[in-house]
Amino acid sequence: MIMTDILNSVIEFNKTAVVDHVTAAIKKGIPIDDILNKGLIAAMDVVGEKFTSGEIFVPEMLQAAKTMQLGLEVLKPHLAGDALMEKGTVIIGTVKGDLHDIGKNLVTMMVEGAGFNVIDLGVDVDVEKFVSEAQVHNADVVCLSALLTTTMPIMAKTVEAFKEAGLKAKIIIGGAPVTQAYAQQIGADGFSDNAPGAVELIRKLTAT
Amino acid sequence: MNRVLFNFDGKILDRIHNHSLELLNETGIRFPNKEALDIFKHHGFKTDGEMVFFEQSDIEKALETVPEKFELHARNTNNSFLIGDDSYRMAPGYGPPFIIEKSGEMRPAVLSDTKKFCKLVQTSKALDFNSSIVAQPNDVPTKTAHLDMLLSTILFTDKPLMGSTSSKICAEQSLEMAKIIWGNTDKPVMLNLVDSLSPLQYAEEMVDALLVYARAKQPLIIHSSCSMGSSGPITIAGSLVISNACTMAGICLTQLVNPGTPIVYGLGGSPTDMQTGGYVNASPEDAKHTAIVTALGRYYHIPCRSQGALTESFSLDYQAGMESSMMLSTAALSGAHVSLHACGTYGSMLAMSFEKFIADEDLCRAVKILMKPIEFSEDAFAMDMIKKMGTSGNYLIEPHTAKRCRSEFFIPDLNTRAIHAKWLKMEPRQMDERASKLLEKRLSSYEKPDIDPLIEKDLIHYVENIK
Repeated sequence: MIMTDILNSVIEFNKTAVVDHVTAAIKKGIPIDDILNKGLIAAMDVVGEKFTSGEIFVPEMLQAAKTMQLGLEVLKPHLAGDALMEKGTVIIGTVKGDLHDIGKNLVTMMVEGAGFNVIDLGVDVDVEKFVSEAQVHNADVVCLSALLTTTMPIMAKTVEAFKEAGLKAKIIIGGAPVTQAYAQQIGADGFSDNAPGAVELIRKLTAT
Repeated sequence: MNRVLFNFDGKILDRIHNHSLELLNETGIRFPNKEALDIFKHHGFKTDGEMVFFEQSDIEKALETVPEKFELHARNTNNSFLIGDDSYRMAPGYGPPFIIEKSGEMRPAVLSDTKKFCKLVQTSKALDFNSSIVAQPNDVPTKTAHLDMLLSTILFTDKPLMGSTSSKICAEQSLEMAKIIWGNTDKPVMLNLVDSLSPLQYAEEMVDALLVYARAKQPLIIHSSCSMGSSGPITIAGSLVISNACTMAGICLTQLVNPGTPIVYGLGGSPTDMQTGGYVNASPEDAKHTAIVTALGRYYHIPCRSQGALTESFSLDYQAGMESSMMLSTAALSGAHVSLHACGTYGSMLAMSFEKFIADEDLCRAVKILMKPIEFSEDAFAMDMIKKMGTSGNYLIEPHTAKRCRSEFFIPDLNTRAIHAKWLKMEPRQMDERASKLLEKRLSSYEKPDIDPLIEKDLIHYVENIK
């Protein structure tokens, strides 16, 4: 019952309720991993599905993600040190010369909501920074965003730089002018035109 | 009547203005540009890092020196025109990097597309000037693409033109090309679009371009827009304030640099698609936004820019016609002076289409007639003729009708008015196919406008030298 309450409080973005229910679940001795995976993350999966089907809108999805984060904050002190790192580390940023971040922020919140450790490098990120941060954090997936056709070639350069550096991180790309064909052309590992799609893609790429 | 869209209570405009001043004063505008920051500091503005704060008096002083109207000069003086008063000037799409073909396929634009559009602009009965990026070519180096586009505009048209604002060097080189034609002049010969970044900031390169053009006293469209609900508030009221504050700050900078620099005022507010997070131009909300922005332009006594015949559609269908007509008609009837994107764009300005361009030209011409005042001269009343004809007349045979038969009504180039039986037999019958046919005709009958061979040689040499 309490797991359903956690799930519903995220889906209905009831921020007070999520804190109460997660606290209650911890007190009841429900395994922390279950609260995380079967409660909070499962809720964001439902939210992602509802978004994809057009049932809920972007701002509602974001409120749900924020609600999930609040539940996670309550859970964090009880999580084993690297529990969140287990799913994988994702680096995300908008490429050099491009200052657009709405889509990138959307993906960040959804990927965090799916339980990944996300490092957001912000906008106007140069190739070298993507490479060095991926090395430092041992990234599993790197997400590149671009809105301008003039900055899309930076994505190709980044893919190339990762190959040259011998990094095994998977690279996925997105943004209004970006296409699946472009992803294939530059040798990226994947493309998504929406945030829940990016989560699915990252899950597939990190599945062991 | 509340449903009269274009009458806005002066008190509402005051509130928008006052809230904008509040933002300018308390939150400030970010100018990540050392040169601009130095100018603001030199004039005693309060700054904090890259943030600049404005007093009411700063804005009022700037507005005092902005001209209410100005003449934009063309290479062919017959094509020069006034911006301001009752004038309404149109240019085609600005910035699309793609072309959508009749089949629906989308491909990157190339320089030959840009040149084709220039030829269409030159032969257009609807368009008054060319945009600086009618289609962004992907087959030439990005660094010098602005030179290719400007050279194409100059050589293939003799209508007024726009300069590049992509960077300082782009602006300087655009001005150099203008100098080859007009020599050193501070008369307005090049209109330039500076866009802010929402919320409440400018990109460094845009400010560089603003400074270059303001110093040369060339007219600038200072335009701020936000995607309502994502890069700005979801409400029209909030979006107006955030964009107006940014535009006011930009205008203020132009007048500090060079008082009297001609300005076209512009704010844009487009909804964010709440189901995808995408940007939506063609919408009733954007149209309403345009209506009140033109009222603000009049409030500030500055000519006003609006969007054009925009659509979210990717084909020449009902949606494209409905949305383009709503957007352009609202801009025209609410009093915009300049519309970019008046011809040719699909998908929120993502792509240009040759067929849509031809179709939009009919729309542009129809809209220009729609906004033209109805004639009430004695000749128009035609009382003598009406009395003479009485109840049994056929006005088709009257000289009064013959005299006016080519000028009184809108005559479409593309839209059909055929009877059904004739329409059924029409070959081709579909609008996009008919547009293609007209397009071929237009391009095959195109004649390059005259240009002084020495100027042409110098322009080509200038561009080749840089490349």
